[in-house]
Amino acid sequence: MWASAGREGHLVSSRTPSTLETRAPTKAQRRGPPALAFGSFGSPAGKCGGDSQAIFLLLLLKEKWVLSRMQQSAAGDRSTAVPSLYPSQASLTADSYYTYRVIEDPEWSLATVPHLTELCLQHIVHNFEKNPILDCLLPEHQRKVLDRLSTGLPLAVTANLISDEDYWKRCCTERWQACDISNYGDSWKQMFFERHLENILKCFIPNTTDPNQVLELIPLCKDYVRKLEVDQFLPPVQMDQKEESDDLSNTGSDFEFGEVSIHHYDLGVLITALPHLEELHLTYGVKDCGMNFEWNLFNFTHQDCCNLAVAVKMCHNLKVFKLTQSKVDDDKTRLLVRNLLDHPCLVELNLSHNLIRDKGAQAVGKLINHSRLQTLDLCNNQIHHLGAQALARALAENSTLTSLNLRLNCVEDKGGEAIGRALLTNTTLKSIHLGSNNLSEPTAMLFSQVLAQNTSLTSINFSCNHLGLDGGKQLLEGLADNKALTEFNLRLAEVGQETEYLIHQIVWANREAARLGSLQHPSAKPI
Amino acid sequence: MMAAAAGWRDPAPALSDPGPQERIAARRRRLAAKRREALGEDVELKVAQVEEEQRRSHKQIEESRQRLAKLLFDGTQMVTNIQVAADLREMQRRAEEAELKLQRVEKLENEAKSSTYKFEEITSKWALAKEMTIPQELWQLLNQQQQQCALLLEEKNKLIGELQQELKNKDEQYVWAIKKQSDDIHLLLERMEEQIRLMLKNYRHELLQIEKAFELERRELLENNRKKWEEAIQAHNAQELEYLHARMRKVEEFEKQLNQLRVQDEEEYNSMKIQLENDVQNLERQLQQMKAVYQLNQEKLEYNLQVLRKQDEENTIIRSQQKRKLNRHFAISDAEKFTEVWLMNEEEAKGLMRKALDADRVIHTQQLGLPWEEPRYWFLNNVGPLGHYKVKRMATKLAAEVLTESSSGGQEEEGREKEKEEVGSEEGGKENTAKVEGRVTPLRNISKRTAKRILELISDESGFLIESKLLRSLQALGRHERTLMKLDSIFAALEIDSEDDLYQLVDFFLKYKAQEMAVSQSQGSPGAEDVTDLTEDREDGGSGAQRNKLKSPRSLLGSLPSVYFHADDVLKILKAFVRGFDKLREKDRSAKEVLQLRDSSKDEEYWEALAHVIPKPTLKLWDALAVALEEYYEILMQRASLLAEVDLLQQQNSELCLLLEEYLSSGVNSKLLSPPTKWMDLNLSCPGEAQWVPGARARLFSAPS
Repeated sequence: MWASAGREGHLVSSRTPSTLETRAPTKAQRRGPPALAFGSFGSPAGKCGGDSQAIFLLLLLKEKWVLSRMQQSAAGDRSTAVPSLYPSQASLTADSYYTYRVIEDPEWSLATVPHLTELCLQHIVHNFEKNPILDCLLPEHQRKVLDRLSTGLPLAVTANLISDEDYWKRCCTERWQACDISNYGDSWKQMFFERHLENILKCFIPNTTDPNQVLELIPLCKDYVRKLEVDQFLPPVQMDQKEESDDLSNTGSDFEFGEVSIHHYDLGVLITALPHLEELHLTYGVKDCGMNFEWNLFNFTHQDCCNLAVAVKMCHNLKVFKLTQSKVDDDKTRLLVRNLLDHPCLVELNLSHNLIRDKGAQAVGKLINHSRLQTLDLCNNQIHHLGAQALARALAENSTLTSLNLRLNCVEDKGGEAIGRALLTNTTLKSIHLGSNNLSEPTAMLFSQVLAQNTSLTSINFSCNHLGLDGGKQLLEGLADNKALTEFNLRLAEVGQETEYLIHQIVWANREAARLGSLQHPSAKPI
Repeated sequence: MMAAAAGWRDPAPALSDPGPQERIAARRRRLAAKRREALGEDVELKVAQVEEEQRRSHKQIEESRQRLAKLLFDGTQMVTNIQVAADLREMQRRAEEAELKLQRVEKLENEAKSSTYKFEEITSKWALAKEMTIPQELWQLLNQQQQQCALLLEEKNKLIGELQQELKNKDEQYVWAIKKQSDDIHLLLERMEEQIRLMLKNYRHELLQIEKAFELERRELLENNRKKWEEAIQAHNAQELEYLHARMRKVEEFEKQLNQLRVQDEEEYNSMKIQLENDVQNLERQLQQMKAVYQLNQEKLEYNLQVLRKQDEENTIIRSQQKRKLNRHFAISDAEKFTEVWLMNEEEAKGLMRKALDADRVIHTQQLGLPWEEPRYWFLNNVGPLGHYKVKRMATKLAAEVLTESSSGGQEEEGREKEKEEVGSEEGGKENTAKVEGRVTPLRNISKRTAKRILELISDESGFLIESKLLRSLQALGRHERTLMKLDSIFAALEIDSEDDLYQLVDFFLKYKAQEMAVSQSQGSPGAEDVTDLTEDREDGGSGAQRNKLKSPRSLLGSLPSVYFHADDVLKILKAFVRGFDKLREKDRSAKEVLQLRDSSKDEEYWEALAHVIPKPTLKLWDALAVALEEYYEILMQRASLLAEVDLLQQQNSELCLLLEEYLSSGVNSKLLSPPTKWMDLNLSCPGEAQWVPGARARLFSAPS
């Protein structure tokens, strides 16, 4: 009611900027020079799209100005409160004004009138999709706008405009239940875009889904995505094939037939367009397939491998590459390794839970000395002693690798001894995992030698082997003078409880010593 | 698995020990124990000390940390045990699988082998069948074959069935494995949750413990500090109290001392005061005495001072007199010297002048043959400096003169004549003479008799001024001489030395008398004033006002020659005279100084005149004469040279004559055919000519031009 009256008054006679201070603020006289009021809000009004919008804003500003004048006069009459233009004091001044106004017009109430700034901000929020105004607002107004913005706004509007974490936090929490930003560089925005992209990729069905869905997203998310963790790649849908494959799945006769169409989505276009991509976690498989299980749902084809290898090669900032549970065999390993040779950044390679055999292990062994790899995970593959020997050879010369995981392979004593011999010369490896590798006493004997000589190893895992009591004693002897080892896992390694306990004592002492040492060097982590 | 984990978890709490330092120390101790058992005890002691020093809170933190690390490790072990177990199971499964696979392969191979053998058997029998002709046999064989084939197939089917059974078993196993896995995962979750709960609890517990330890420590620390503080405060208080007591004691002591000192001081003060008062009294007495003495001395000294002042005054007077005398002496000597120099120079000049006049006279009389008359100039007769006046006569001398004049009246005129003559001789026609006369005239104005009378009176009446010794010795002398001697000593006493002084004295006497008389006959003779005026007019141009004053009574006196002086008045007059004499004489002296200055303006003229005693025409005459004489001298010189030539020629001539004579007289001549003597007229009168020449010269000289 009041607003309309004020607006009217303004429209009728807006250019009378005289003796406002002395006049009583009656309804008819609530007007003033708009030029004065424009000073503070000129820029947003100037950027308004339509004329009608501009006029509207103008009116809003007008109201705001009149209001402030009235507050001032009221305060002046009471000669107590300082006239204020800020919303924080709006309630106080509004109250005082209210008491003042009651005398004149008992029906009128300011309580129904929201603040002009509020109105403006509300308007901005409502029209944000069409007319996103944010950067030119005052900080507190920005805050308000961001707090009220809908999370459903198109990313095309918000992606590059809004950097506020709270907004993206809202987006994330509304969309996903569990949100742990520590995995996403402590940034909600990064988390949102990474997970958004991951979701799209997970649900991408080749030949069915529009590839533009991904391509359109690239310019929006390329600045924020640093890690991609895709644990599912859907194969293309083939209705007619499905019937046949049902019967012939065991024979594999349809392999040739479906070869063209069973390739997965080619990541090459995407990941080469992401300049900040540092981590790539991929699993070529289908999750939660339940009773719809089919072998060809888990088919990492040669073409897929080629595409991936080329893409990874083009991705120069990549530091961590994980390709797990994807039926990567020797040929694919070699293909990947060939493309990863001399990669400028790659630090960690994880090919666990695949089908890598000795050939693949040999290729990986070559890669160790032709890159900056620090962490290598080959757990749960089918590497035998030949592959282990190849890795051991590489390890003997290497000076970058710090962690090697060969869990759940079957390198056996031959491979174990080869690795042990390599560790006699290697001085960089800190952690080695040889659990579940059918190792026995000879390896234990060699490793007792390693423990006596090597000073860089801090963690050894021999769990689930058959080292035997003697092997355990050998290790205990070798460990007697070792000061570096802080972890030595011998669970279920048949070394006997006593030996295990003594070894634990020594390792524990070493760990305490290391902890004390790290107190002087804060960079090291305690425990 | 659990057992294994629990196995070495059990002993851990038993060994959960103090901090790492202790443990390190303990291990060191263990290792070093073998080597130095003897020193072991020391080390242990040291370690014990270190342990003591450990703060409780730190110990608690360390313990908690240990416990928690242990717990964490155990929990992690417990959780990861599941994975390890799964790994083991998987490995075992794989091993079993591999074995089964091997068996299966073997079985398959065996089966294949046997089946191929059977198959070959069957196929080999087919060839037999071809040979068979008998249908029964063939049927039998075929049956056999069929049976065998069926057997083979059955075997195969059996194998297939077995394999399918195995597959089914595998499926079951898979399901079981999945179930197991889910169980494991559940267990894992359970354990993790339990672990989390446990860890939370433990952490909380340990935190509480640590806080408690800190609290305790803090409390202890506070307690200790408070105790220390209180102790310190108590000590402080005690000390303060002690100090206070000490101070009080000292204050009392000092007070006592002060009182004592005060009493002592008072006594001392009193005694001192008495003594000093006595002293004061004594001193006052002495002062009185001293004052009296001083008074006396002052009077004496004042008297002495006055005497001395007088003496000083006298001395000053004497000194000035002496100075005056000295000055006069110098002036006189200067004048004398001047006169001497003057005379000497004048004599010299006059000698020169006389010489010049003589030369003039000789020139006039001898050379020119004119009559010479000696010129008469006024300065030719002048001897001594110009304006030289007669030295003043001494008072005594004058007195003697006066006395003698009066006694021999006839001589008076002569003496005056002589004086007049003297004056006349001095006269250069100048005011000088007038001055001399002006001064001499007063004496003239006073009649000799009156003067004599006055002097005699003075000599008679002022006998007290003469020393008694002298007075006595004067008795022997005659009256005149006695009077003179008396006057001499009286004048010496009255300091009357010069002529003027005497005149003044006489004048004063006369004036005094005249005044007396004027007082007595003032109304009687008014004409006296007119007479005075007249005399003043007549005597105009005198030396000064004072003199005029004196003259007026003098002239008056002069008109009253027989003035009677009473002997009684003489002393009164003398007293009055002596009073005014000094003043009078001072004025007179200055006047005298002026008079004594010589006028040297005429001197130059005088000396110039002396230098030009030969007048200018005469000098011109002399010059002309000199020129003429010069010319004459030239001629004479020529003549002299000619005469010398003549002499020489004559001498040569005589010598030649002698030679000729010799030649002629020699024997050679006679031997000659024609002796020169024969044709030569010899004239041997050469020496006679030589005698003539001087006479001629003398004539030449004497011949006047």
